[in-house]
Amino acid sequence: MTDTPETQAPSQPIIHIEHITKVYEMGNEDVHALRDVSLDIGNNEYVAIMGPSGSGKSTLMNMLGCLDTPTSGTYLFKGEDVKSMSDDELAMIRNKEIGFVFQTFNLLPRATALQNVELPLVYAGVKSSLRKQQAEAALESVGLRDRMDHRPNELSGGQRQRVAIARALVTKPSIILADEPTGNLDSKTGQDIMDLFERLWKLGNTVILVTHEEDVARHARRIIRVRDGLVESDDVTSK
Amino acid sequence: MLRPSEIAESFRIATSALRVNLMRSILTMGGVVVGIVLVVVMGWTIKGLDAVWERTIGIIGRDMLYMDKWNWAGGGNWRDAEARKDITERQAWLLAERMESAEYVMPLARSWNGSVTLGNKQIMCSVQGTTQSYGNTPAGTTEQGRWFTGSEALQGSHVVVLGHGVNRTLFPDNDGVGKTIKIGGIPYTVIGVVEKRGFIFMDFIDNQVFISLNAFKSTFGFFGRSFSIAIKAGNEKLLDIVRDEARGYLREIRNVPPGKDDDFSINEMQAFDAQVTTIRIVIWMVGIGLTVLAFIVGSIGIMNIMFVSVTERTKEIGIRKAIGARRSSVLLQFLIESSMICLLGALIALPIAQILVGSARWVAIGPLKQEWVSAVSPFIQVDLLFIAIAVSVVVGLLAGFLPALRASRLDPVECLRFE
Repeated sequence: MTDTPETQAPSQPIIHIEHITKVYEMGNEDVHALRDVSLDIGNNEYVAIMGPSGSGKSTLMNMLGCLDTPTSGTYLFKGEDVKSMSDDELAMIRNKEIGFVFQTFNLLPRATALQNVELPLVYAGVKSSLRKQQAEAALESVGLRDRMDHRPNELSGGQRQRVAIARALVTKPSIILADEPTGNLDSKTGQDIMDLFERLWKLGNTVILVTHEEDVARHARRIIRVRDGLVESDDVTSK
Repeated sequence: MLRPSEIAESFRIATSALRVNLMRSILTMGGVVVGIVLVVVMGWTIKGLDAVWERTIGIIGRDMLYMDKWNWAGGGNWRDAEARKDITERQAWLLAERMESAEYVMPLARSWNGSVTLGNKQIMCSVQGTTQSYGNTPAGTTEQGRWFTGSEALQGSHVVVLGHGVNRTLFPDNDGVGKTIKIGGIPYTVIGVVEKRGFIFMDFIDNQVFISLNAFKSTFGFFGRSFSIAIKAGNEKLLDIVRDEARGYLREIRNVPPGKDDDFSINEMQAFDAQVTTIRIVIWMVGIGLTVLAFIVGSIGIMNIMFVSVTERTKEIGIRKAIGARRSSVLLQFLIESSMICLLGALIALPIAQILVGSARWVAIGPLKQEWVSAVSPFIQVDLLFIAIAVSVVVGLLAGFLPALRASRLDPVECLRFE
């Protein structure tokens, strides 16, 4: 990613979305998942995107995570136009700039915790020895140094999610994008995970949570509510 | 560009996927295993054939020419050859006198159907009248006893050197030297036995006996016989020079007008290559047909199992794409997996092929005689190993391409939703 100084103010947002829409074809019918969404997310923000199912929040999350591209509108990621990117360029953005944390953890079942965390570095082309070192550091930062050689099925739900967070962190991405990160966890473990996000945010990371739970969203410093493909409200919370 | 780390990861994934689905993978390989076995056995057979042939030719010598009324390889028009005048004794000797470039020039007279008897044992075989120097050529090298001397040749002494096959038939105990046999009803003393020379292609070489020209004349006479002239160039490189010289002189001796075709044939060992080529082509055609069939069946199976594998791992593909795997990485991952299935097939096929090859050789020792089988390698040749491995990998890449392409083009959002 290269900065283009003349258009970028010092407080340039990481994500700049302007009037984006997303239309899916379902048989003969067009489904407007996103009708008109505009928003900016800056560095070291802690944002929650909220909305009921069918609100378009998942589509918005896929868009933000560069898993999908908008039908129309503008999406600049650190000033780069995402809409015109090829599949491979999107893959590179996801690899270097975005750390995903999923509700169902999405770890590779046959790989150890360490191997799972190494994976983004594999696709980034990092040498094996350096990769191991960085992955170990990431696992250490989520408190799982002693579980590195365990496979996902030998770990508890909370531990799995922490492996997933370590995997998201390992490339030092611009944003951490978490989709219902506590959805499959009991409330105590969920709280631990939310504490971890809080800590990551305080360390300078940009965190975007996608959730339908008020309790989870309340951890964020800014809540964007989505309904029927539109942004319903965008508030900075007092905390 | 694919990065080394991605390639290494692809291998790691492929091996682990194979390990998990070992039984399924092995069952899928059937066609490939059969195909590889066929390729290897076929290659080995052709190589064996060539080796035996080379040995045959090598013993007799590629530097031998036979000037003859007849074309041995059967080429040309048989009626034309029949219409040719016989090569006379005088013409043969004239040529022998004039030739300068060749190592040996040896007139030969032959009775194809001479009667050779020992007691009440009688065989019909080729009786060849020739010169003393024939004993110096590989075709006349004796393994027992000796060739006849110049003075024996001059005097027309009734001494005979037996071909290997004749010796075996008449003297199963290999004790013929010094004994007396009858050729054309005339007693001859056996003075030597020629080393085994022939093989399936040229069996006739061992089934003849050699006497001097003068002895031949007194026993069979030269009337109505066309001479051959055996010419040993001495060196394969001289062959062209010697051939030209021999042709020129023989045309001159036989008064062939300029511009007219030779009224004789020049037979060379190469002429027999055609026989071997025919056998080789037959093996190839049968072999290639079966092999292609096996590989088609094999690759359909592999393609099928790879499609299954892609579907089973949709979620995994989604995860990998989400964290940055590019299309080429996913493509590579599945291509490597399908190639490894085929490679494993090759690893299973090679020992099977080796067992087949080893047993075929062992079985052949009886009918083909130990000394000929020894020319054939008991092991699959290294280049065949590499060919087998290369072929298996190519089949794997071809069979895996469509499934891998599908995997690489999957939408990560759809994949992540897949349960």
